[in-house]
Amino acid sequence: MTDDRVEFEDFLDEEVAPGLTRGELIKRGAGAGAAIWGVSTLFGAGAAFAGTQARALTPTFYQWIYGLYPDIPSKINKDYAKKVKLDAKIAPVQGFGIDRFVAEAKKKKSTWDVYVGMTPFVEMGSLIDSGTIEPWDPYISKSVVNDLIPSIRAEATYQGKIWSFPFLLDIIIQAWNGELVEKAGLDPDRAPKTWDALIANAKKVVSSGAAPYGAVFDAHGWRSLAPIAHTFNTNVYRPDGLFDFTHPAVVQALEVMKQLMEVAPKNILEEGKVDGGVNTTPDEEAFAGRQAAYYIKYQNAPTRFAGTWPDPSVLHIAGLPKKPGGAGGTVFWNTGAALFKYGQNKKQAADYMSFLTHDVRIWQHALGKDVRGASGQLSPYKSDWAKWKKSPPDWMADWAFTVQNELRTSKAIRTHSFGLTQFVLGKPAWEAYLKGDEKNPKRALAKAQAIVLAEVKKQRKK
Amino acid sequence: MASRAVTARSPSGTAALWRSTTRFARTWPYLLPALFFFVGWQLFPIVRTAWISFTSFSFLLDDSPESASWVWFDNYVDAVQDPLVREGLLKAAIFTAIFLPGMIFLPMVIAVLVDRVANQRLAATYRVILLVPAMIPGPLIFLLWGWMYSNGIGPINYVLVDVLGVYDLANQPTWLGSGNLTFLSLAMMEWWWGLGFHTMFYLAGLSTIPKELYESARVDGASEWRIFWKITFARLRPILLVLVVLRFGTAYALIDEYILTGGFDRSKPTYTWTVYMWDTAFQVGDQNRGYAAAVGWLGTLGMLVVVLWLFYAFRNRD
Repeated sequence: MTDDRVEFEDFLDEEVAPGLTRGELIKRGAGAGAAIWGVSTLFGAGAAFAGTQARALTPTFYQWIYGLYPDIPSKINKDYAKKVKLDAKIAPVQGFGIDRFVAEAKKKKSTWDVYVGMTPFVEMGSLIDSGTIEPWDPYISKSVVNDLIPSIRAEATYQGKIWSFPFLLDIIIQAWNGELVEKAGLDPDRAPKTWDALIANAKKVVSSGAAPYGAVFDAHGWRSLAPIAHTFNTNVYRPDGLFDFTHPAVVQALEVMKQLMEVAPKNILEEGKVDGGVNTTPDEEAFAGRQAAYYIKYQNAPTRFAGTWPDPSVLHIAGLPKKPGGAGGTVFWNTGAALFKYGQNKKQAADYMSFLTHDVRIWQHALGKDVRGASGQLSPYKSDWAKWKKSPPDWMADWAFTVQNELRTSKAIRTHSFGLTQFVLGKPAWEAYLKGDEKNPKRALAKAQAIVLAEVKKQRKK
Repeated sequence: MASRAVTARSPSGTAALWRSTTRFARTWPYLLPALFFFVGWQLFPIVRTAWISFTSFSFLLDDSPESASWVWFDNYVDAVQDPLVREGLLKAAIFTAIFLPGMIFLPMVIAVLVDRVANQRLAATYRVILLVPAMIPGPLIFLLWGWMYSNGIGPINYVLVDVLGVYDLANQPTWLGSGNLTFLSLAMMEWWWGLGFHTMFYLAGLSTIPKELYESARVDGASEWRIFWKITFARLRPILLVLVVLRFGTAYALIDEYILTGGFDRSKPTYTWTVYMWDTAFQVGDQNRGYAAAVGWLGTLGMLVVVLWLFYAFRNRD
């Protein structure tokens, strides 16, 4: 025996346990390890067995929904749980990621029953293609379906079936800081009706010194190029469902954006600071910081930022400007719920979503008069709006009706697995025109189209 | 202390084999945990992504890489011909060329200066101050510098535009939006962040250099510059090799900062091969992970070639 081993065995014998040798120590350790493994296996089997029992209704929410609507976890879910066992969770998603959902579906299982946070043109196409979700049709009540605003129902429908249970509606609108507009010598209560009028007003804001910038917009295509194009024509989509970048209405939209660039911050085309560049964008900084008068974005943005102003009541909201004779539309999207194909409690899930979406506390929070904390999304139901128009609630902000009226002429971006990505891919090409690197807007947009189609072809090659 | 008599034996072949076998059998259980993590979290992912790179695996369409088609080197051929891959590799190389010298030489100069501080308390204070940025988590660093560089609300442009009047709103620098400035802005952020950590590396190396060498050199009339190159720099070569290899790896494979500052805009200088790989694997279309893996391996193999060259360039010439 070596000296080291002798010393070690002396240590074991004297300090640990009399008679304990190195060999005995190893045997005991191996035995303990095997025992731990055996017990944990049994626990695992137990858990698996428990998993086969009926579980509580398990919706999972995109984090931002809980953040904007704290009543959901604190009050609404608790009320629902009084009649049905509910186990609501936060979804493990970041950005617009759906990986976890797809990975579970491949194993023909799902930890959750319903995902609240799906936007049709963003994730729905991919979730359908991958077989992760199934339509709501067998489970959603006819009364709920018939009560949906038609354009929202159309957005949620794909190949004749309803794949999204509509919930929170966003619409691209124009907003303005009435204080800055008034300081520029303009009427703060008067919305610019045309793009020419808005641009002229924005220039006046800058030239009068009322604010450094006249107007800001979110440079991502689905928040600017597409909605501005919809004000000229809402039929700007190809037969395959992709955005038609070469449509004359899109060319007109790009030219409007070029004019807006003249009164916008120099960094307006920069990516945002969070969520892979999608949020905390330069337009948000400028409008929140009261450095820009006019704002083109979904209504939730200006209401959030105005909440930080000394006097939020100077915020005004209206539909997007129109071209005389144009469609006068805009883009909207509804963040709704997807039903997991391998989830459980499907009928219950439909009942829960109906309960959630009809709860007036949601809409009081979203459309309240005090923009501080008003999350801004709109109800998808005809009956809600009919009731509110007939007898406007005390708590409701005036702009809610203005924005809701825009739905009459608005359309959603078509559902496609490249629904959002097409705008990311094409952006560098049309921005070349905005930056002055490309003189011809049609050429810039044709290039954008070519890039998108090439990428779709590359993906489908297999 | 009780002791056992050491029994001396004359080793025969069989006895020696038996002893080494039993020694191995008594030793390997202690290696198991480390082996488990090495194989599971290092070796397996490397082998697995290499395997996936030879398939047409698309995450949304295929159940698993095993169910996808085996395409041999098709993904690699496509990647080599893909302009986004070539541009991405070049963009990463440009950033590395800007970043690396500053990351290597700035801490070295600081370390030499701190090493010369005679007052130990003051030297310790400098060390602590230098290490503060290293304590800040990455996401906070990115948020902090994102704010610093912001046109609208950032303090840098506030000073340049509103205080000093060097620029106005129209021509103020767009630190993270301009092709020329973006890499420099990111490099400055990284230099600041890593300054303390790398300075400590050099200080450790400087402490091993005998002071007598400097005294002898000064007695012989050598200038400070010559002393720095012939003694300090020469003796720091092993540390330099470690830092250059490590920092080359992180610079060329950078991704977090690019995504946070440039998003997935393919025209931006921050859309490098790593961002393209991530974009392809987790975002675009059907998430073609076989192709993304090939892009990753292409970049990795290129990096390996450079690292081998670095080892050769920094070899011991004694």
